[in-house]
Amino acid sequence: MEINLKDLLKKYKSHPYEDHEIKTAHTGIVHLNVEDGQEVSGPTGRWKHRPGTLLYVLEREGNPKRITSMYTGFVTGLRKELDSNFVQAGVPVMVIRHSLNKDEIIDRILREVLYVFPAPQRARYFFTPEVAAAMEKEGANILNIKDGDEIVIMSLMKRDTLLSYLGPPGVLYKVYFRHGDLIEQGAPLLGICSPERLPFVERMIQRIRTEWDD
Amino acid sequence: MKRDKIIIANRGEIAIRIMGACRQLGLDYVVVYTEEDRDSGHVKTAAAEKGNDAVFRIANYKDPNEIFAVADYCGATAVHPGYGFFSEDFRFARRAAIRNRPIAFIGPRWEVIRDLGSKINTKRIAKSLNIPVIPGSDEPIYSEIEAEALAEELFQKQRDDGIRRPSILVKASAGGGGMGIEEVTRLDVFRQVYRRIQNYAKRQFGDEGVLIEQCMKGYHHLEVQLLCSRHKEVVHFGTRNCTIQSTGRQKRIEVAPGFDPEYVAYPFDAYRVLEQIVNYSIRLAREVEYDNVGTWEWIVTRDGRPYLLEVNTRIQVENEVSACISRISKHKRPVNLIREQIRTALGEKLRYSQKHIFFDGTSIELRIVAEDVKRGFAPWCGTITRFEFPEEPWLRVYTHVPRDVAYEIPTEYDPNLALAIVWGQDSEEAKARARQFLSRTIIEGVDSLGQPIVTNLGYLYERVNDILRFV
Repeated sequence: MEINLKDLLKKYKSHPYEDHEIKTAHTGIVHLNVEDGQEVSGPTGRWKHRPGTLLYVLEREGNPKRITSMYTGFVTGLRKELDSNFVQAGVPVMVIRHSLNKDEIIDRILREVLYVFPAPQRARYFFTPEVAAAMEKEGANILNIKDGDEIVIMSLMKRDTLLSYLGPPGVLYKVYFRHGDLIEQGAPLLGICSPERLPFVERMIQRIRTEWDD
Repeated sequence: MKRDKIIIANRGEIAIRIMGACRQLGLDYVVVYTEEDRDSGHVKTAAAEKGNDAVFRIANYKDPNEIFAVADYCGATAVHPGYGFFSEDFRFARRAAIRNRPIAFIGPRWEVIRDLGSKINTKRIAKSLNIPVIPGSDEPIYSEIEAEALAEELFQKQRDDGIRRPSILVKASAGGGGMGIEEVTRLDVFRQVYRRIQNYAKRQFGDEGVLIEQCMKGYHHLEVQLLCSRHKEVVHFGTRNCTIQSTGRQKRIEVAPGFDPEYVAYPFDAYRVLEQIVNYSIRLAREVEYDNVGTWEWIVTRDGRPYLLEVNTRIQVENEVSACISRISKHKRPVNLIREQIRTALGEKLRYSQKHIFFDGTSIELRIVAEDVKRGFAPWCGTITRFEFPEEPWLRVYTHVPRDVAYEIPTEYDPNLALAIVWGQDSEEAKARARQFLSRTIIEGVDSLGQPIVTNLGYLYERVNDILRFV
């Protein structure tokens, strides 16, 4: 598969944003802590251990839950009328317009370069215990995968099914889900890179790092 | 009781049945739903009947904080857990009872749920009362070596008993409803299965304890329906037969009564066995001072020996099949067990005793599921575009699948589509009516690849021939 890196970069440079709708994680009384247009930051620190800007507090059963920003950007579309009111789960509260940085551009372009193994159903996904143990010990990039390998468990309608990988052999270059995540049908699960393509991918990443200004 | 307001902490057809019971009792109610269930019939019915203020979107049915937060916001005084989710969670029932703003839990006292919710503890109590139980572990096993030793012992015992193909069941200790159970027929594959069930149990229930017991073959799965009150009243609503199950031990057809010697000849005194399991169930219920609806599950071997399997301290999917043949005094209408459950949980007396309960005819419940019976009952995902079934005086259908718009089956939950309860004057008539219903039911739909829907209608049509028989 050939890709035109120049065109891809041009596309992202013309619209280097992503809008993230922030919805209430659960029910409770919401107390807003930001204003429209305010700049907010995402988690920082080596391990992203310092939380981002406090967006709102959701109080449920007497327990306040501090909802901090997972993205750096600007607040738009703030719904002030919700302040100090009971809200249901999944209610949109605001949007954060986030400018894509170099690593995020690499991540998005990688999806077009790697062989992406998608989720066959909307379900929860887990690595098999053997694969999870191997990854914990040696890291994901060490795993070589071939057609028919059973590496992922799909938990659907309370039934667990072993999923066989279908696709070209290669190295597990990217994992797009966390253990037990609910993944939409067709969303990427794994990104596989063939051994002969690895040098090209590494060069491409290097080029983006050089050409993209954060 | 009239001033009570119930929060229905469940989904689908059981939420709809609970709404019906509330309606009969003149009680107000609210429902909860998740984003995946936004098109479910239980949401639409509640919104149409009570308005949009009576439906609340929550993050997860399994998050107790969500349920209690909505309960407080809307002023609910009682919570009905339905089946699954919190229905057998004694911690949830305890929290409802002792929180700053207590609300009634529609179910037994939390102490009873705790004591009978554990299959192991139930087994211990039953043994102490001389009630027969299945040979196997008396407590959850966490050690592979210990598990293998017990498995070996159970295989040996069966060989000593002259059983030609011995086998054992490996079960998630915290599981229920047939989930997390596998059969092992050879000791050399035991470890592999044990590890699989242990991992499954950890993922699904947060507890990796495993139970091991002898696998009984060719048995019938019977249930005894009890109703008890807070005033130490105990009555039963007979027995039902739940033997016809999927390969994953999920019930598919249930019949009340549990045996019918006028329909099938049994090599044992079937009336005596039914009486025995009812009496054993009542003995256990009285011992633990049971105080709500409950189901005592039994297996009965080909030679008529009963063994207690477990107690389900909740309303069940199949309660309706017993209710359908039960009459109180001269009432022509079948009893509504959910209505009775709510009344007793809110402290009312039964106002009748066993001598006022009569049984009339045979009832069959058909569980209509989107599943591929030829591929191990694999669940089918997709969108239902047409769902039509006949309307008859001898038939009740409970479904959350809307019939006026296309409905995408949520993948987060079981692909159950509907429950059909058929009544007949006798088993022969009930069976004929069940087949008539199935042949006149139409379900159409497509999956994401454009392939037509797969359901178990054909399977049910065939298997209904096998009801009440030892096949």
